[in-house]
Amino acid sequence: MIERSSDRPDPILPNTGIVARREFTERVRSRPYAASTVLLSLLAIFVSFLPIIVRLVDRDTTTTIAIVADDPSLAQRSESIMRGVLSTTSGGSPDSWVFTIETDREAVKTDVSEGRVDGALFATRGASGRLDFTFLTGQGLGADRTQFVAIGTFAVAFLEWTDLVNPSGSVPFLPPTLNVLAGAGPTAGGVPLAATEIASRQLLGTVLIVILFLTMTIYGMWVAAGVAAEKETRVMELLISAASPRQLVLGKVVGIGLAGLVQYVAILVPAMIALALQRPIAEFLGLGSGINPPLSGITPGFILAYGSFFVLGFTLYALIYAAAGSLVSRVEDLQVIALPMSLLGIAGYIQAVLALSGGLSGFIRVASFIPFWSPFVMFTRLTVGRVEPWELVLAYALLILSIGLVAALAIRVYAAGVLLYGQRPGPRRILRAVINPNG
Amino acid sequence: MGRLTGPLGAGTDVRFPAILRQMSLVFDNLHKRFGRIQALDGLSLEIPQGHIYGFLGANGAGKTTTMRIALGVLRADSGALAWGGVDHRRLPRATWGYLPEERGLYPKMTVLDQLVFFGRLHGMPADRAARTANEWLTRLRVPDFATRKAGELSKGNQQKVQFLAAVIHDPEILLLDEPFTGLDPVNVVLLRQAILELRARGKTIVLSTHQMETVEAMCESIAIIDRGRTVIDGTLREVKRSTGRQSVLLATEIGHDLAWTGDLPGVRVIRPGLDRVELGLDPGTEADAVLAAAIARNVPVRHFEVADPSLEQVFIELVGHPADVDTSLAPIADAAQGQDADHGGGQNAGQNAGRDAGQNAGQNAGRDAGHNAGQDAATQESPAA
Repeated sequence: MIERSSDRPDPILPNTGIVARREFTERVRSRPYAASTVLLSLLAIFVSFLPIIVRLVDRDTTTTIAIVADDPSLAQRSESIMRGVLSTTSGGSPDSWVFTIETDREAVKTDVSEGRVDGALFATRGASGRLDFTFLTGQGLGADRTQFVAIGTFAVAFLEWTDLVNPSGSVPFLPPTLNVLAGAGPTAGGVPLAATEIASRQLLGTVLIVILFLTMTIYGMWVAAGVAAEKETRVMELLISAASPRQLVLGKVVGIGLAGLVQYVAILVPAMIALALQRPIAEFLGLGSGINPPLSGITPGFILAYGSFFVLGFTLYALIYAAAGSLVSRVEDLQVIALPMSLLGIAGYIQAVLALSGGLSGFIRVASFIPFWSPFVMFTRLTVGRVEPWELVLAYALLILSIGLVAALAIRVYAAGVLLYGQRPGPRRILRAVINPNG
Repeated sequence: MGRLTGPLGAGTDVRFPAILRQMSLVFDNLHKRFGRIQALDGLSLEIPQGHIYGFLGANGAGKTTTMRIALGVLRADSGALAWGGVDHRRLPRATWGYLPEERGLYPKMTVLDQLVFFGRLHGMPADRAARTANEWLTRLRVPDFATRKAGELSKGNQQKVQFLAAVIHDPEILLLDEPFTGLDPVNVVLLRQAILELRARGKTIVLSTHQMETVEAMCESIAIIDRGRTVIDGTLREVKRSTGRQSVLLATEIGHDLAWTGDLPGVRVIRPGLDRVELGLDPGTEADAVLAAAIARNVPVRHFEVADPSLEQVFIELVGHPADVDTSLAPIADAAQGQDADHGGGQNAGQNAGRDAGQNAGQNAGRDAGHNAGQDAATQESPAA
């Protein structure tokens, strides 16, 4: 009786490394690789400069701020001072800021959360005479405008001190406090994040998620196309006699993954430089200094998380793409299989974008643990600072576990798929391949 | 020596001696089913070490499945396969060299890189693989191919490169599936020499082909398989004589007028020709009777030669077609009507391939065989025989 095929010595190395090296070399030497590197770099730089571009386009955007104060005169005074100061310092037109005086705090908070006003400024005068401000930001309010409001509150406090509190000059000036809260944005553990930090992280998250999605999809297709091309050119017949399906699949994933990683760095570095240069460029263009440096949120831990989510996410998708590629006989036929694969990634991407904009529904929380989506969604949650340590550990554990499981299945499908020619890869055939790859 | 199985060989199961079996490639009662198709149905073979072994069968007979099982790409449902007494799945992958019937290389990779890649997969250090690849390219008279991309080469030259990919790691066993298809005559000679040299170095070579001429020229032993079963195996001579028939190669002054042969019992025209005809003699029919009949009818005989039947004839007789199937070309009208009829595609394809390939084979073998017909072409051409 024939025994299991695993009886043959099948070490991962060196053949996996040899296959990986061939894949890596072939990719990085190809013209499409160079072209896509340049294109993706330009795209990443463009996305990085979006805040400046938006600011250029939206010079005349009107921001509506509701002012609520215990003292009606303080409310009136704050409104007039801020209107005067911000209309001149922010570089916009005189109508770019609209201030309204309100009295009902709760109603104003509702207005902010529901987007009827862009923000609310609550002013109180303490016993020492110092003014305390709380600025509640809405979704439409960027970090730059929040900083202008901060300048405005300083002006209100200073003029209050000179005109009212200290006509004789015997009382020292007490700088105002400004507490910025997100009225419609994300919170971490119930504590709202600073709006400037949120805006910064949202920008960064958008850039990184776009790159993550694009590269994972593109590199995944490279793997599938590589396998399909080996079948189409029939070199597969030689390959399967020289190396095991496990060595071939893993070698291909590793080789193309490394090529992707190199391209990744080539894309990310100019994008990071572009992000770092935003403030000086904004100042140079006369757009004020309101743009917060987006790289402030990047820490070694953040980079590690991003890198690991890319590597693990790519590995998971690439394994599926490798199996999918083995089921078609020609590269053109990949389109049939690529669509559902892309939809799987797009679903994760959309949820990541939703999470970036501040929503954290129960579904998004669950999605951040689902292995096919966690590289996008959990990373996004991490970017906007909403993840408990156990959540991160669980997401990684599930992702790694899934990779092992998917690898075993993908290798079985591949072992059967590479011998199939001219047959449509229906669900029954795939299932049969998984159950009995040699039959 | 040798073994007959199936309809002609029942009861004559004579295997190689035990000492030889230890040094041989043994396929023992292999079964393999793909869904409703029984690809292998108890296939058994013994291939002695250092032999070139002809592996013959119609399309779909199970040759490629057998090779893939040997390589470990497929798993048999039951049965055993061993080399030198060691189960094939415990052998290193580098034991085998495989030239698949389907040709393919990486089109954008240089030939040298490609050969080094396959050599390394089989455990060769890169520098040794490169050195060996260059040596082989030089021997095949294409040293300039090293730096050229495979996609730039003709199909025939790609085939040579693929052959090198199969042998670069110096495997003990070579499985060659239709190695000569698509090659021009010059390259056929080159490749034949390379294969014979590998045999001379002790390599065991399984040669699957439809080209009977090639088999007769190169193989010491052969097996004919049909529907996943071994129909016959043994030395080439044993197999050719297994039918009990003989052939007569005859040339006369009256050319292709063969009407007089119609009166001879047990004699039929196998291959008519303007210059020379081949007559098949049923078992028990004496060749001398043909000569005597020709003389009696005043047919001027220029050439008379008794030979073993060609391998093509043996193949057709054993597996090629049942007796009630006419092997002559059908009229056009009949062909149009019968396009959709199912006569067993694989079997017919095999008949055709065998017929085509064997046209020259029989002639060559017969020409070289001489009056007593004992010698076969393979024996004469093989330097190691």
